Amino acid sequence: MGVPAARTGRGEVIRLREVVRSRPSGKVLGVLSALALAAGTIGIAACGDDDDDGGDGVEGGEIKIAQTSQPDFLDPALSYTVNGWEPMWLVYTPLLAYPHEEGTAGSELIPGLAEDLPEVSEDGTVYTLTLRDGLTYSDGTEVKASDFEHTIKRVLNLESGGSPFYLAIDGAEEYLEDGDPDADISGIETDDATGEITITLVEPDAAFSNVLAMNFAGLVPGDTPFKNMTEDPPPGVGSYEFTESVPNRQFVMERVEGFEDLGLDEGIPPASIDKITTEIIKNIDQQAQDVLANELDYMQDPPSPDLKPQVVEEVGPDGIEEQRYEEFTTSSTYYFFLNVNEEPFDDPLVREAVNYGIDKPALARLFAGELAPGCSFLPPGMPGYDEAFDTTDCPYGDPNDPPDLERARELIAEAGAEGAEVTVWGNNDAPTDKVTEAYTEMLNDIGLDATPRILDGGVYFQTVGNEETRAQTGFTNWFQDFPHPLNFYFLVDGDTIQPTNNQNFGNVDDDMIDDEIDRLRLETDLDAVAEDWTALDEYLISPPQSYIAPYGHRKLALFLSDRMDFESAVFHPVYNNDYSSWQLKESE
Amino acid sequence: MAARDETLGPDRGGSEFSPSLEIELTAEERRAGLAGAGPYRLAARRLRRNRIALSFGGLFIVLVLACLAAPLWADHVAHRDYRDIPGSSETVTKGGEEVFVVGLDGVPIGPTWRGEYFLGADGSGRDVMVRLLYGGRNSLLIGIAATLITTFLGLAIGLAAGYLRGWVDNALSRLLDVIWAFPVILLGIALGTALALGGLKIGPLEVSGSSLAIPVFVIAVVYIPYLARPIRGEVLALREKEFVEAARAQGQGPLRIMFSEIGPNVVTTLIVFFPLLVANAVLLEAALSFLGAGVQAPEPSWGTMISDGVDRVVSAPHLAVVPGVMLVLTVLALNVFGDGVRDALDPRAKVRIEH
Repeated sequence: MGVPAARTGRGEVIRLREVVRSRPSGKVLGVLSALALAAGTIGIAACGDDDDDGGDGVEGGEIKIAQTSQPDFLDPALSYTVNGWEPMWLVYTPLLAYPHEEGTAGSELIPGLAEDLPEVSEDGTVYTLTLRDGLTYSDGTEVKASDFEHTIKRVLNLESGGSPFYLAIDGAEEYLEDGDPDADISGIETDDATGEITITLVEPDAAFSNVLAMNFAGLVPGDTPFKNMTEDPPPGVGSYEFTESVPNRQFVMERVEGFEDLGLDEGIPPASIDKITTEIIKNIDQQAQDVLANELDYMQDPPSPDLKPQVVEEVGPDGIEEQRYEEFTTSSTYYFFLNVNEEPFDDPLVREAVNYGIDKPALARLFAGELAPGCSFLPPGMPGYDEAFDTTDCPYGDPNDPPDLERARELIAEAGAEGAEVTVWGNNDAPTDKVTEAYTEMLNDIGLDATPRILDGGVYFQTVGNEETRAQTGFTNWFQDFPHPLNFYFLVDGDTIQPTNNQNFGNVDDDMIDDEIDRLRLETDLDAVAEDWTALDEYLISPPQSYIAPYGHRKLALFLSDRMDFESAVFHPVYNNDYSSWQLKESE
Repeated sequence: MAARDETLGPDRGGSEFSPSLEIELTAEERRAGLAGAGPYRLAARRLRRNRIALSFGGLFIVLVLACLAAPLWADHVAHRDYRDIPGSSETVTKGGEEVFVVGLDGVPIGPTWRGEYFLGADGSGRDVMVRLLYGGRNSLLIGIAATLITTFLGLAIGLAAGYLRGWVDNALSRLLDVIWAFPVILLGIALGTALALGGLKIGPLEVSGSSLAIPVFVIAVVYIPYLARPIRGEVLALREKEFVEAARAQGQGPLRIMFSEIGPNVVTTLIVFFPLLVANAVLLEAALSFLGAGVQAPEPSWGTMISDGVDRVVSAPHLAVVPGVMLVLTVLALNVFGDGVRDALDPRAKVRIEH
C-alpha cells in the first residue's frame, strides 16, 4: 500500500493515509485524496456556480503550466495523488466516468469506455458491462475487453495504493497470493469478441461503480508491462496522450487527434488546447509571480499565503485587473479526532465541550482563508451533505461565529475533567502545526491541560494510527476519492478499526453507525438514501455522540494567466482542474 | 606548589600560579610599571581599555536583562502571555481603526508601537514582542546552559586525555574525532530530530522530546570537541612542567594533579572560549529550531520565530526580521566581547575556535 503525498506550493505535505484493507469485507476502504487540495487548485471560474456558460476561447495553442513536485507516478495503476490524477484522467478513461461538468452534475456516473452503466445483479455482487465498439488507444492499438482484466492485474500486481479497492473482486486476493502476474482473476470474465465484461464481487458494494470510475481502472493495452511506466507512460483512451516524461523536470501532454470520433458519451468532450507542458517548479512563489506576469499559464498549487494578498488584490474577484483568480470549496473535511478509548474523550461531555470550544473562523485564518468553516462530516458536493448543517443547524452554533467557550467550560466542569492531561497530535506541514497549536490552546482555555506533539508529516498518520500510540486527539482530514458517502464513513466505522494503520483514529465504534453503514452499503440508488446519510451525519456529530470535531472544508483556488479564457475553465468535483476545458483567448 | 615559569622575565606578566600564561607587556604597560603584575590584572586592564568590547558586552547584558524582563512586559505592558491566541472576533486598535489581529486572509497585523502588539502579531495572532522576549530567554538559556555543559565536559575530557595519555587518550581522542567528523549542523539536526521525537531516556532519567533540555544536550555534545581538543593540547604541554613533576613527587594522585595543578592553568583558555561558544551555541540553537529539531512548539525561540516568519516575508516581514535582528545583535555582541577577552588574555591569539 502506498502512501503517496502531494506537496502543495506552501510545502504542506498532505499525506494520503494508507489504504488499509483489513479484509475484502465489502467495505470500501476510503483512500485519502490528499491531492485534491494541491492539484485541484486550479479550478474553474465560479466553482460551484451554475452560470458557467463557457467563454470565448479558441481551439488550439500551447500552454505551459507548473506543479511544485513531480506526480508520484505517471502510470494509472499507481498514481494516487492529485498531481497525478489531474492530468491523467484525461489520458486514461475507465469503463465508467464522470461528466466534465461542475458541481453535483460532475459527480454523476456516466459510461466511459463501456456502452452503458453496469447491470447489477439482484444480490449486488455481479456487474456486467459491454465495451464500446471501435475504440482505439492513442497509439492506434485496438481496445479489447480483456484489457480491463490486465488493467486491474497491474493495480494489484504493482502493489498500488489503489489495490485495496479492487480486492473486493472475487479471486483478487487469490491472484495476489498466487504471485503469478499472468494468472487469471476468477472474478473477472471478459469476451473480446462480444466486448462483454463480467465482474463478480465477494460481497455487495454500492460504491463499486465509483471504484470502476477511478483513475486506477483507466484502461491500458493488454501488453503493458507489470512495472512502473512513469518514464514511458502507456497509451490510453483520452483527449490527451503523454508524449514526453522527464521525471522531476517536465512532462508533456498533446491532444489526441480523432478522439471525438470514438463516440464516447457527450459528457467526455475532446480537448481544445493542442499541447500542455507541465514543468516542475519547486518555488511556489516563483510560480505565482510567473502566472501574474503571464509567463506561466497555470499553477496547480494555490499561491502561498504570502503572495495571496497581492494576487487577490490584482486579479481576484474584486481585483484591479480582469479576474483570473477564484476560490472554491472542495469535497473535503478537516476535523480533530477524539479517541473514545482514551480519557478524557471517553466522556461524551468532554467531546461535546471540544466541539463547542473550537474557534472555526480562527482556524480558517490559519489556512489564509482557504477553509470554509463547517460542522458536517460529509463535505459539500457529497450526496447526503446538508448545507444547513454547516451553518444554522450546527448543534454547536453557526461555524462562522465565535465559539461558545463558556458552555465548553461548563461541560468540562460537569464532566470533572478539569486539568485532565491531553497530548494533541499534529504534523509539521504548514499550517497543520499552527492549527494544532491553536487547538491545544483552546483545550487549555476550556480547562484541560493540553500539550502539542508535532511530528514529521511523513510519519504522522502511521503514528496516530498505531494503537500503541494511544493518541488522544489530533489533526486529521479527508478528501473524497469519489463522490459516495462510504468513502468518508469508513473513517468512523467500527469494523475498520485495526491495531496498525488504523484510519478510524477516534476508534469510533457505535452499533447504530455500523449497522446503518452496512445497510446503506447495499443501496445502489444513492439519491433514494441521501437523506439517510444526512441523518447519519447528524447523529455522528451531535451530542451526546460528538464523536469527531469537524471545523471546515478546504478551499482551493483557480489561478490562470491572462492568456487563458477564464470563463471556459471547468472545475470538476472529483478531479479538480479539467485541462480539456481550457481555451486560449481569442486574441492569441 | 607551582614553580615559576622560566620564560617569564621582568618584561612579562606571569604568576607562579599560571606558569603557562605568557603575556607580553606593551611599552605603555612597561612604563606604567606593570611588569610583574598578575596576568588577570593585566587582562582586566586591557579589557577595560577596549571600549568597543565593553560596549558590546554591555549590549549583551542589556539583551539578557530585556529577555529576563519578559514576564513583566507580558503582564504589565502587553497583557498577553506568549501562548495566548486571540479569538477570531478579537480586534485591536491600529491606526485609529479596530482591526482583526489576524485578517480574514491570514495576514497578521504589523507593529502597533503601543503596549499591546508592540511589534505586531504572528500568523496565529500571538504578540510578537512577548514571544521575542520569551524566545530570547529560551535561546539564551539554551546557549548558556549548553556552553556550561560543554565547558565542564570539555575540560574533563581534555584533562583526562592530555594528562593520562595511553589508552585513555586514544579512546577519548577517537570519540572526539567521531563527533568532530560530522558537520555541526548536520549532527545537531540528526540528534535533535531523533530526540525531539522520542525524548531522551538514560536509565531512570527521562526527558520529554519537547523539553528544552533536549536542545541543550544536543548543542553541548556537538561542541565538546571544540573545547576538549585545545584543552588537551595545553595539558600535553603542561604535564611536562616541573611543577607537575614536583606534585607527582609529593605523591599527589592523577585526579588531584589534573584538577588542582593543571586545571587552573587552563582557566584562561576556558574564559576565552566561553563567550565565543555561547555565541555559537545560540546560533546553532536558532538553526536547529528553524529546522524543527530544536525548541518545540508552543515554546518560542528566535529560530522558531524566524521559521514562522519565512513564509510571510512579503506580507508580514516583521515576523522574520525582528527575531533575526535580535539574533544578529546577540551573536555579534558575544563575538566582539569574546574577541576582546581573547585579546586581553591571549594576545598571541594562540587559542581559536576551529571549524
